[in-house]
Amino acid sequence: MIYLSKVEIRVSTIEDGALFKRVLLQPGVLEYFPMYDLREVEDAVRIWEIFCRKGASLTAVKDNIPCGIAFLNLQGYKKLTHQCLITIALDEAFRNQGIGTKLLEKLIFISKDSFNLEMIHLEVYETNPARRLYQRLGFTEFGMHPNFIKEDGRYINKIFMQLSL
Amino acid sequence: MLHWFPPSNAQELENFIKVWMSFSRYSASLTSVYEKTPIGIGTLFLMPYRKVAHQCMFQIVVDPDFQRKGVGSSLIKNLKHLAKTQFRQEYIYAEIFDENPLTVLLNQQGFKEFARQEKYVKEKDSYFPRILMGCDLLE
Repeated sequence: MIYLSKVEIRVSTIEDGALFKRVLLQPGVLEYFPMYDLREVEDAVRIWEIFCRKGASLTAVKDNIPCGIAFLNLQGYKKLTHQCLITIALDEAFRNQGIGTKLLEKLIFISKDSFNLEMIHLEVYETNPARRLYQRLGFTEFGMHPNFIKEDGRYINKIFMQLSL
Repeated sequence: MLHWFPPSNAQELENFIKVWMSFSRYSASLTSVYEKTPIGIGTLFLMPYRKVAHQCMFQIVVDPDFQRKGVGSSLIKNLKHLAKTQFRQEYIYAEIFDENPLTVLLNQQGFKEFARQEKYVKEKDSYFPRILMGCDLLE
């Protein structure tokens, strides 16, 4: 695990939007997101900027290369502000090295420490291998949205998972 | 009434209504009228992304003076029809806060619960669940 010492997790800057966009457009990545093409990805990056400006996004950097992003989709309504949805995207060349775990662990930390959240949750497609990572970090399932994704006549279910803080 | 909806105050309500009514632009909103007075409204929150555009959430609200008279049932029935015929929706669902009387109506109309998230809503240090109920329009 020596390589992990070279991984730094820092608060994202607006410039990291380019990283988010690049990762989303890597082959196969959009299979795990609702976006379909460049236009939809750019729309998602614009929404990310809102949370980034609130300090709610983290960037993983390995050997000075930004390689992953995780953020809190902070809620706007007062009665919902104790919880939020989270999103994570990791460069495919940097997977299976513990970076996703480190990124999420730090996100969980700032959820409690900086944003006073009591619960975070996520939405993951049934086919996404990242489900194992979320389970390992303590996320539990609370439902399934049937046939949430429809692509080329193929349907994929969406699983809801949450973590009480 | 606001217990069942995301807003807690006037400012939040304004924003909520703005988003809700923006869907009337796409003719995705229906109004119930009784003797020329609008008494209920139901809206499909159509999804902007292509891969998820075959299904959507909806919201309804009925004037308290006209509740328990079939207005909600009629709105849901008409929303299902609108979703299927005009927008080629295959599945519609509702996000319900707490144990809302709406769950009974939805059960009657073939909706099934597919997720229940405890403590999703927090009001004055009390917690309430959100319940997601969906209906397959292809069946």
